[in-house]
This record gives sequence, C-alpha cells and structure tokens, in this order.
Amino acid sequence: MQSEHKEMIDEEKLLEELHDPLTSRKGFGRLVSEYSERLYWQIRKMVLSHDDANDILQDVFIKAWTNLENFRGEAKLTTWLYRIAINESITFLNKKRSQNNISIDDDDAFLLNIIESDEYFDGDEAQKMLQKAILTLPDKQRLVFQMKYFEEMKYEEMSDILGTSVGALKASYHHAVKKIEKILGEPN
Amino acid sequence: MKTNIHKLQEIDKTKNPFKVPENYFAQLNEEIMSRLPEKEYVEPRTVSLWDKVKPWVYLAAMFVGIYITINFLTRNSDGGQITTEQSTTVKPASIPQAADNYWSTVHVTEEEFYQFLEEQIVDDGYYDYMYNQYYLN
Repeated sequence: MQSEHKEMIDEEKLLEELHDPLTSRKGFGRLVSEYSERLYWQIRKMVLSHDDANDILQDVFIKAWTNLENFRGEAKLTTWLYRIAINESITFLNKKRSQNNISIDDDDAFLLNIIESDEYFDGDEAQKMLQKAILTLPDKQRLVFQMKYFEEMKYEEMSDILGTSVGALKASYHHAVKKIEKILGEPN
Repeated sequence: MKTNIHKLQEIDKTKNPFKVPENYFAQLNEEIMSRLPEKEYVEPRTVSLWDKVKPWVYLAAMFVGIYITINFLTRNSDGGQITTEQSTTVKPASIPQAADNYWSTVHVTEEEFYQFLEEQIVDDGYYDYMYNQYYLN
C-alpha cells in the first residue's frame, strides 16, 4: 500500500517534469530507464526475435515522446506505455503475417523458426515445447497468458492495459492454461 | 528426445530461455534517448489587452452600425412625404426628442400650411356633397 502510494507520488512528479518543456527530456530519460526493460520483455515475448523486439521498443518510446503532450494522466504511465507496446507488437505481427501470406488462424512459421534456430533462444526441450504451445494461442490470449503466467501481473492492471473485464481475463487465462497443458500432454 | 509434461508447474518458469546480447540493457537507454527527435520549444504567446477586448469592441461596433442603419432607413421611409396626419397634427409638448428632430427637418411656410388646410376643407366639402347626393337622395 505504501509502495503504491510512493509510486503514485513519483508518477505525479514525473508527469510534472514531462509536461514542462525545460525538464521533459530529463524526465523522459527517467521514464526510459524505469520501464525500458519491462517493456522489452513484454514485446520480446510477443515477437520472440531480439532484433524485432529492439526495433519495436525504440518505436514505442519515440511514439511516447512525440505524443507526450496528449497524455493527460487519465491512466497510469505504465498502462499507457504497455498499451503502446502491445499495439506496436500486434501491428508488427500482423504485418509479418500479411507479408508471409499467413492467415490469422494458421501457425506462425516465422515465430516457430525463431524458437528452433534463433541464437538468442537457448531454452531446453520443455521450454521449447511450452513456447510452441503458447504460439498456438490467439494473440490476445497469448498476451493474457504471458502477463499472468510469466509477469504475474494483477488482473486489475491487465484489465486497464487490455481494456477487458477482469472476469473475461480470468476466463481467457483459464482456457489458455487448459489448452497449453493439453498440448504439452500430447505425445510428441 | 521425447518429453511429456502434464502440468505447467513441471516447467521452471523462472529460467528465461530468451537471451539478449551482452551489455544490451546497459546501452539501451542511451540508444533510445539518442534516437528521440528534438522538440521545438514554443514560447507561450502573451495575450495583449487589445487582443482580449477586440471581440467586444467588434461586437459593440456591429450594434452601433445596426442602430445607425435602422435609424437612417426609418428617417428615409417617412421623411419625404407629408401625410395628412403629420401635417395637421399640432406637435404636443410631450413629443419625444426624436420627433422634435423630425419636425426640425420639415420646412413648411405658414402660407403653404394655410393653403394646405384650405384645400383640405374644399376636399372635405366636396366629399360631403357627393355623399349627400348619392346616399341621401
């Protein structure tokens, strides 16, 4: 509770800095160092490739920087940044799919390739299986699963970011777990 | 190698299979900041007193313009003709200033005025005569 309060005060201070033209760049530097790593992992787990995640992350911060004047503090800064990151990641995936003529219901071969052969993926067999199982989920359900399972994010926070009710998120996560466990249990 | 897993808990989720290049996060923030475009600092514009009152002055000028136009049109519409009523009515002391102004613009000599009254009487007599001829006989 106290840490939440501290975070809010910090965010208020940061917002003041960001909206003052004389201190906005310095404030944005604080924002980047605070959230860049978290956002990187969120993006990376969606697009899997390090290079793509790096490019998307840079775009996310450039977008946030150029649209800073439009951010009036209705949502938390983290929520706002996560939303930009998720939108950019999904836009990137859809663009890749259309380039490769892949329908939204087909398996994403370009993502499976990354798990199989990317130099920055070195999971064991079980982790590979888990990642492949996660790839069978639709994008939004994959997001819900990543946020809950790996980041252990609260449903309320997820609800703010994804604009979906807590009940729907719980149901989505439950189905995702069932589906993944079913795939993992199938004989190879 | 075949691996069958029945529960997610059997996989160690704390081990991150995704790797990043060495020192990636150490340089990341600097790289992001260096790619940010410069923003132009726009000095907030000071609003002068004239800028503040300008709309009200325009509004007032508009009303004055409308008043003058209406006044002008009203004068023109009845200024050129002398009606019977106007010419025969004696101006009472209580007629407002606007009427005063009007009468000061009408130039009728005493002679013309009597001539006009005489014509009126002759006309009235003629109408009386015609009326009597037509209706009473």
